[in-house]
Amino acid sequence: MRRSKIGLIIGCIVIMLAFPLAYYISNRDREITLELGIFAGSNWDVANANSYVIIDKAIAKFEQQHKNVKIHYYSGILKRDYSEWLTKQLLLGKMPDVFMILSDDFNRLASLGALKDLEKLMEKDSSFRKEEYFTTALMTGQYNGSQYALPYETVPTLMFVNKTLLMKEGIKVPDSDWTWDDMYEICKMVTKDTDGDGHLDQFGSYNYDWLDAAYTNGMVLFEESDTKINLVNERVTQAVKFTKQLYDLNQGRMVTQDDFDSGRVAFMPLSFADYRTYKTYPYKIKKYHFKWDCITLPAGEYGANISEVNTLLMGISNKSRHEKLAWEFLKLLTYDEEIQMDIFRYSQGASVLKKVTGSKEAEIILQEYMEESEKVIDNELLSRVIEQGVVAPQFLRYREAVSLASSEIQTIIENDKNIDSSLKILQNKINQYLKQ
Amino acid sequence: MQNKNKKFIYLKMSMIAINFIAALFITLLIYVTTRIICDHFIAREFINSVASIPWNPYKNIVVSITLFCGLILSFIFREFIYSNNNKAIYITLIIDLIISITLIYFLDFNYNGILFLVIANIIAYTKGIRGRYILMLLSVAAIIIADYQLISINFELYSVYDYISYYDSSTQQALMVCYNSIVSINVVLFIIYCISVIQNQRGTIDEVNTLYEKLSQANEDLRIANEQLKEYSKITEKMGETRERNRLAREIHDTLGHTLTGILAGLDACLTTIEISPQETKKQLEMIAEVTRRGINEVRRSVNKLRPDALERLNLESAIRKMIMDVETMSHTKVTFETRVANLKFDADEEDTIYRVIQESLTNAIRHGKASRVWITMDSVDGEIILTIKDNGIGCVNMKKGFGTRHIVERIQMLRGSVKFDGSDGFTVTARIPIRWGEVYD
Repeated sequence: MRRSKIGLIIGCIVIMLAFPLAYYISNRDREITLELGIFAGSNWDVANANSYVIIDKAIAKFEQQHKNVKIHYYSGILKRDYSEWLTKQLLLGKMPDVFMILSDDFNRLASLGALKDLEKLMEKDSSFRKEEYFTTALMTGQYNGSQYALPYETVPTLMFVNKTLLMKEGIKVPDSDWTWDDMYEICKMVTKDTDGDGHLDQFGSYNYDWLDAAYTNGMVLFEESDTKINLVNERVTQAVKFTKQLYDLNQGRMVTQDDFDSGRVAFMPLSFADYRTYKTYPYKIKKYHFKWDCITLPAGEYGANISEVNTLLMGISNKSRHEKLAWEFLKLLTYDEEIQMDIFRYSQGASVLKKVTGSKEAEIILQEYMEESEKVIDNELLSRVIEQGVVAPQFLRYREAVSLASSEIQTIIENDKNIDSSLKILQNKINQYLKQ
Repeated sequence: MQNKNKKFIYLKMSMIAINFIAALFITLLIYVTTRIICDHFIAREFINSVASIPWNPYKNIVVSITLFCGLILSFIFREFIYSNNNKAIYITLIIDLIISITLIYFLDFNYNGILFLVIANIIAYTKGIRGRYILMLLSVAAIIIADYQLISINFELYSVYDYISYYDSSTQQALMVCYNSIVSINVVLFIIYCISVIQNQRGTIDEVNTLYEKLSQANEDLRIANEQLKEYSKITEKMGETRERNRLAREIHDTLGHTLTGILAGLDACLTTIEISPQETKKQLEMIAEVTRRGINEVRRSVNKLRPDALERLNLESAIRKMIMDVETMSHTKVTFETRVANLKFDADEEDTIYRVIQESLTNAIRHGKASRVWITMDSVDGEIILTIKDNGIGCVNMKKGFGTRHIVERIQMLRGSVKFDGSDGFTVTARIPIRWGEVYD
């Protein structure tokens, strides 16, 4: 009895020791595979022939530094399928170690605990300073005050200016600190009937809506929670009024994309990614037959020359078994200056690192693909627009709420309704929708 | 009893089975639903409606099955291998508790019914074990804490209902019926089990009561028998005494009476003849002396008959040695006997006294002193025998005059000797016995 008991205890201990030992032996020389979740094409919905160039470069660099690590990704997942693909992996418990996060998914993934809280990793890593990132870009990856993802690529919104048209009208291209009044003045001047057929055929702006105006007037749409939109205040009212003023200039004529493409519109908000795509070969030739450039958006009374900044995030799975390696790779993609410089070379966005975006090299790269005569966007200005920009909330309903608001406000403007009371009704309506 | 045990084992087995089904139901449902959701490309939509997601649906199944294997192993150990070892039962119960809590954790608190199984086992097994209440408290606390509704307030947990609500309403209903039935069956089994345990315990109490009654009856009978025995022994003692008295009377009558009668008759004859024939009288007196001497011999013989057995057959020293030998074989006490008196031959009453004193002292040393060593020495000083009996027992500080010592004192006083007792270091009896040297009337 006593003997068998001692045997049993020894057996248990041996088994308990055997498992970790076997695990250790089997893992000692084995190759570690890091799964990477990425999508093909551009996050900014512009054409991109070089989707995997940066990633492949980063992988090669990483695998060289870590001999026993292989990084694997599934190629060919389109952006529109990526969210579904990623959540499928999440449901099946097969989350990639490092993955891109679409802005609509970020809040949901963070709240489901699918993302690793990076605060500790950032703290432990002495070679890492989060101040290197643009504040807005970094903020995009925060949830409940903690950093759950790091920015990889960022794109601010700029104002497209038809230089040919302005030159023709004898108007100087506005400075980067221009205001609503400046814009209104210019729009008023250019809005006219050039061919004398009694119909307006030259316009001030296209696609410039209340949201662009509100952002430049210091508006914060969601102050407290995801479920409460804030529309009833002076800043929003001013923005809507300003939009209405611009609308009224056109005397009810709807400006179309065609008007813009044929060079009859002075201003249009444009993402930095669009700017880079259409400013360079081959799209440059096809798209526009006039000289154009990009400047900041005009500032309202309470705001600055800022705009919405979109950032593509990358995070680490909370269940990753190679946390340290995943962190190293994430750092390589988002924090390595060489890789981040490649964003300018092979992608359409801007680097999330202040130093890279503000560098001479970046400016040279941007210039490289443009015509000699064209003046590229000033790096300092670009950095400022990104740094001070507005981060759009990242939950799925946000877009729906905003598009609902936009269409309602359009109706308010078109039907000449009372702006203050209409906004109050709209605010209640959207809040009710968000509560569902 | 055998039947009852079997019933309990079946009950426990069915509880394990139903819990296994419950865990398997949850994990399988989640796995299958996840698969369907992924195949229908509605994963993104689905995660909008849930609070959390299992870490890995497939591995959850594997983990649940593994944990249940552990539970079954612990059950087999407890039930069949170490069923009589309290420590093993205690350990397996703790293992059960740990396994259950791990399982609940992996199922994200969707199902805590497995704790009923643990409580059932604790109720059944921990009758004699210390810490049963701690174990019980732990499990009950676990049931209260491990409640989905409670925990989901502060933590993001996945819910089996989220997965059920994926299906169309008729399937939902069927699944809900299944799931709730499993949960209810588990509770019902637990209640049946508890009732059986209570009934079983009541049966045991009845049995104990019956046995106790029987025992009381037996005790009473025994007491009466004991009383009768005492009575009987008193009677026998009395009878022995009477018989002894009769024997003594007969002896006295046969020896002393006979001799004294002879002496009286001789003396009467002497009274008549002393004046007529002094010569004849002298002859007569010589005859009387002879009769008297014979009478003394007779008396000695009679007295001899009343002496202790050993003394009757042996001389004093041999008798003492025999007594010592007997004592040493019967108790584990080592007795040393030393004498510096050349010839241990005294009068019968003196020998008796010495023998009895040694006997009483040895008895006291063993019975009261719990001594392992006894030293007996005899010495002769100024015509007195100094008898010392010393032991290494516990001794006694305030010595009570027990029966044994009183006898010793009486016996020695009869010979005009003295005796001292000292209970400070072991127990020492020192007796001084004056000896009537040479007064041998032989």
